Amino acid sequence: MTENVMIQLAVIILFLPLLGFTATLFLGKKIKFMYIFETFILICAFVLSVVLVYTQLTYFSGKSTIGEFHWIDLANAPLMGRITVDLGVLIDNISVLMIFVVSLISMLVHIFSIAYMKGDKRYNRYFAYLGIFTFSMNGIVFTHNLLMMYIFWDLVGISSYLLIGFWYEKKSASDAGKKAFIANRVGDIGMFLGILLLFITYHTFTFDKIFSQISQGVIPFNSGFWLTVTGILIFCGAIGKSAQFPLHVWLPDAMEGPTPVSALIHAATMVAAGVYLIVRVFPMLSGGALEFIAIIGAISALIPATIALTQNDIKKVLAYSTISQLGYMVMGLGVGAYSFAFFHLITHAFFKALLFLGSGSVIMAMHHEQDIRKMGGLRKKMPVTYYTFLLATLAISGIPLTSGFLSKDGILAGTFAFGSLTGQWFFAAVGFFVAMLTAFYMFRLVILTFHGEPRDKEKYEHAKESPFVMAMPLVVLAALSIFIWYTPNPVNPEQGALLSSWVKTPVINTPQFSRYEFMKNDEAKPTQNNVPGGEVKEKESEVVYSGVYTEAMHQAHIPAMLLSLFVAGLGILTAFLFYQWKKLDPDKLADSIKPLYKLSYNKWYFDEIYDATFIAATLGLSKVLYWIDTYIIDGIVNGSASLTKLLARISDGFDHYVVDGIVNFMGYLSSFIGLIFRRFQTGKVQTYIVLVVFSLVIILFLFKSF
Amino acid sequence: MNTNNLNYLVNSLYLIKPELVIAAVIVLLVLVDLIWIKNKTALPYIAILGLLTAGYFLIDQFGTNTFAFATNNSAGMLIVDPFGTFFKLLIVFASILVVLFSMLSREVDNGLERHGEYYTLMFGMIIGMMFMVSASDLIVIYLAMELVSLPSYILAGFTKNSIRNSEASMKYLIYGGTSSGIMLFGISIIYGITGSTNLYEINSLIQAPQMQNLTFLLAGILIFVGIGYKISAAPFHFWTPDVYEGAPIPITAYLSIASKAAGFALLIRFIKVTFIQSIDPNGFWHLLGIIDWKSFIIIISILSMTLGNFAALWQTNVKRLLAYSSIAHAGYMLLGLAVMSNEGITAILIYFMAYAIMNLGAFFVVMLIANKIGSEELDDYKGIGYSAPFLGVSLAIFLVSLTGLPPTAGFVGKLYLFIALVDAKMIAVAVIALLNTVVSLYYYIKILKCMFLDKSEKEVPAFSASYPALVLVFLLAAPVIIFGLYFTPLVDIAKSSITLLGL
Repeated sequence: MTENVMIQLAVIILFLPLLGFTATLFLGKKIKFMYIFETFILICAFVLSVVLVYTQLTYFSGKSTIGEFHWIDLANAPLMGRITVDLGVLIDNISVLMIFVVSLISMLVHIFSIAYMKGDKRYNRYFAYLGIFTFSMNGIVFTHNLLMMYIFWDLVGISSYLLIGFWYEKKSASDAGKKAFIANRVGDIGMFLGILLLFITYHTFTFDKIFSQISQGVIPFNSGFWLTVTGILIFCGAIGKSAQFPLHVWLPDAMEGPTPVSALIHAATMVAAGVYLIVRVFPMLSGGALEFIAIIGAISALIPATIALTQNDIKKVLAYSTISQLGYMVMGLGVGAYSFAFFHLITHAFFKALLFLGSGSVIMAMHHEQDIRKMGGLRKKMPVTYYTFLLATLAISGIPLTSGFLSKDGILAGTFAFGSLTGQWFFAAVGFFVAMLTAFYMFRLVILTFHGEPRDKEKYEHAKESPFVMAMPLVVLAALSIFIWYTPNPVNPEQGALLSSWVKTPVINTPQFSRYEFMKNDEAKPTQNNVPGGEVKEKESEVVYSGVYTEAMHQAHIPAMLLSLFVAGLGILTAFLFYQWKKLDPDKLADSIKPLYKLSYNKWYFDEIYDATFIAATLGLSKVLYWIDTYIIDGIVNGSASLTKLLARISDGFDHYVVDGIVNFMGYLSSFIGLIFRRFQTGKVQTYIVLVVFSLVIILFLFKSF
Repeated sequence: MNTNNLNYLVNSLYLIKPELVIAAVIVLLVLVDLIWIKNKTALPYIAILGLLTAGYFLIDQFGTNTFAFATNNSAGMLIVDPFGTFFKLLIVFASILVVLFSMLSREVDNGLERHGEYYTLMFGMIIGMMFMVSASDLIVIYLAMELVSLPSYILAGFTKNSIRNSEASMKYLIYGGTSSGIMLFGISIIYGITGSTNLYEINSLIQAPQMQNLTFLLAGILIFVGIGYKISAAPFHFWTPDVYEGAPIPITAYLSIASKAAGFALLIRFIKVTFIQSIDPNGFWHLLGIIDWKSFIIIISILSMTLGNFAALWQTNVKRLLAYSSIAHAGYMLLGLAVMSNEGITAILIYFMAYAIMNLGAFFVVMLIANKIGSEELDDYKGIGYSAPFLGVSLAIFLVSLTGLPPTAGFVGKLYLFIALVDAKMIAVAVIALLNTVVSLYYYIKILKCMFLDKSEKEVPAFSASYPALVLVFLLAAPVIIFGLYFTPLVDIAKSSITLLGL
């Protein structure tokens, strides 16, 4: 298979869901079975993406293929020279792995939804929306430039809005849709400014052209500060989309959407787009920007984890855990653990989608009951859901033999190495602390939902295992949460193909002075394979950033693993003590630290704070603007409208009185001359000709002087 | 004429293959019309076939850059160059569509027994327009313009039984006759001064500094009157609203695109070839100082768009409204010429491609609606967005494009026009054009408001057009959007078509 075929394949994968969307949306009302077509389309897309992944990783691994065309070709623009805006697809290891994840989960969610959404009055429309979402997400994955990224960025935004507010009759759902949309727009403004800064500097939107110019030392306004600012602005897009602090407030509310949507959009793919964006622009991020990213990631990992401890809605807990895990990835990228962050993105996509689909299965069995205090004992009724859910919980808690253990451990090791290299242990501390919290609240969730005695007997009696189309995706995703797909050695992910050969940390392009200390190239050892100590060379063939970093990462691996095992075990043990064996009373503890408990239970009052500050300020500002609009702008507009009207009336009057006057006069005149002429001559034509000759003379006099 | 010259002429014939095809089709149409008196249905198909053949030869010819019918003692009377070929293709494209429109038009259909003359006359116009865009000699220019004008007078009044038609035809005839007379006067003055009718020869003759400026100015303006009448630029536009309103809609559409295109091609060629002194590397022209064409055209174009837009505000008849809007569009396009640079010409060509599609589309939908409700009055358009949603939405697309809003082809045309203006540092003019666009928004949107927001007093039953017509509407509406989103092909075509022979 050649590059051309791959590009065509990518374009087909990109546009197939759009076809599904269009067909389903327009024919859905007439043809009842359009949802099958849409699902079939997604299965096709998945099969094609498997072919693409296989081809890329087997034959073109490490190479990137670009298929592009000039979308807009402006002639020589003043001051800027020739400007072209290119659109195109980029096929490399990262994008094919991502497309595999997206199309697999999207396909599974489609299948799951067939049963989950059954009986909904807008059944086909739901599938159409899933189609447009998948199309937009594929666009984000395949894009080779920031402009297309931005376009598809907003397209996923709009499809997420449509799906969150899918049951728009419910006020809370339509409000949640709006909240998600607006919060995302706030982030998008930053991203757009960042893109504009890049375009002003480099006159292109394309990643590789921007990177190559950066590596030649061209940076915005010739200052490292502006490079950092640009990086942070682009990252603002990720803050919005990946629900990072301080824009994380929309994600828990987004749980108003149908649960499969939460699995697809708000757990596995769209929210991961922010992380994917950072992965894409990673080579241009300066040390300052990375540090900012790491701090935001750490905060976003920590705060939602503390909130998740006390929530009672099964989906809300999962939502906060999603934010927290995304915070992990962002933090991982910020401290330079690029490949592990991307690895965690993939593993998290699978096990978090599994958790959400499992919760969907539970919610359906419990007749749309989402409060875990009313559940319990479901283990016997729903064995498939229980065991898959448990596996995913083990994965997210970082227990060995699961995928989550491998990737989370890598990120923790990254923070550990970062700490030992720079002396900033903050990230490592947050990482391990959150790991403990995660294990605790996830097992709290499992125990309250599946273990013990049923607390709502009536609903429990009616609960039953979900049908095959819902159980099958659970099993597939559960299988993907086991370590074996990623590495043969359950404690060392780097022995697997994914990390050892597929996902490589890219070469940093930023100028030396703006990098982290440990990312500066070793002067003495410019080539990558010159690792000190011949015996290490066997195991580690590649140097990331610098020899010092590789060494630190290597040393951090074992302690980080042990420590993370310890904190996860501690978290799980505490959860069992509190909820399974009832040795400790959670209510008593909550009473004794009431302020903290309330802070967590009320989600750190973020919504209230935003209401009191930003929203109140916006409303106030809009009142002021309204006043300005009514009295000043409208005054100007009305004034100019009157002026325009006046002008038009003058020309109309000219037409009416002068032209028509002459016309009428001619008409009267000709009526005297004769009846014969009168029939053919309205008098107008002569007037016209008189006017032409008249204007001719005027023009001649006007230009005579030249 | 010696044999050598004869050889020249015979060898030049292959350069005018498209024109020959059109001429042959005229003969064929007349013969078929005479032989099969009863059944006229074959005529439009013959016409389309002929146009496609001519189009094929034109595409085949694209890139040729030479004189046709040159003899050893004079330059050629015709020119075959990419610029001309581009406009000929545009004319053929518009002609094919207008033939299709005519097949679906009720007005034209009512005169079924005279279809033969309808298409014959139309082909007469086509051949005239083709000579207009490729003429390099004032005599040929004049003849070609007459060849276009005479059939168009008859076609404007084709449906004899309608008073409105006959009136339009009559006015057009008188007005056109006067204009061409004025133009002929200008031509005769130029011949009197220089002793030549060939544009290239005139150009080399007037390089001498002792030219009589005032006389030449008079001649130039007189000739411009003739061309200005063809492109309906103010203040030579007076015929436009009356004739556009009165003529059958396919002919109105034809006049507003094909004959305007031919007029523009002629104007650009006339000014560039006759008055050029040099072209600098950035593509800006330096004209001879005899006539200040730049200020002249700026004034004419501002006048055209302002007058067209403001007069359109008060129209209640959609056809008449579109007539005024076409005057305004002529004004915009003249700005591209006023820039006096190759970039400006590129902008005009892009604008023309967009304008051809969207204006044809708008007239076509108006025609389909008129077929059903028998009126073009704005009041009768109330509620059409609901009784005929497909036509309503399509018309909306065309009107939005005519306004120049993204994502439509009309936006692209205006974008490149304004880029050219800004590049030439004509900011003030660009601002005036921009304000004019804002004014035009009002009357275009007024139609939309009528269609979608106003309720009709009387119940309008749901209606639609025949399937071929709907497909045609779709085929016109789709490119408006597609070229609005992806316009590099338009730009590429335009860039490769700005080459004039010798310049």
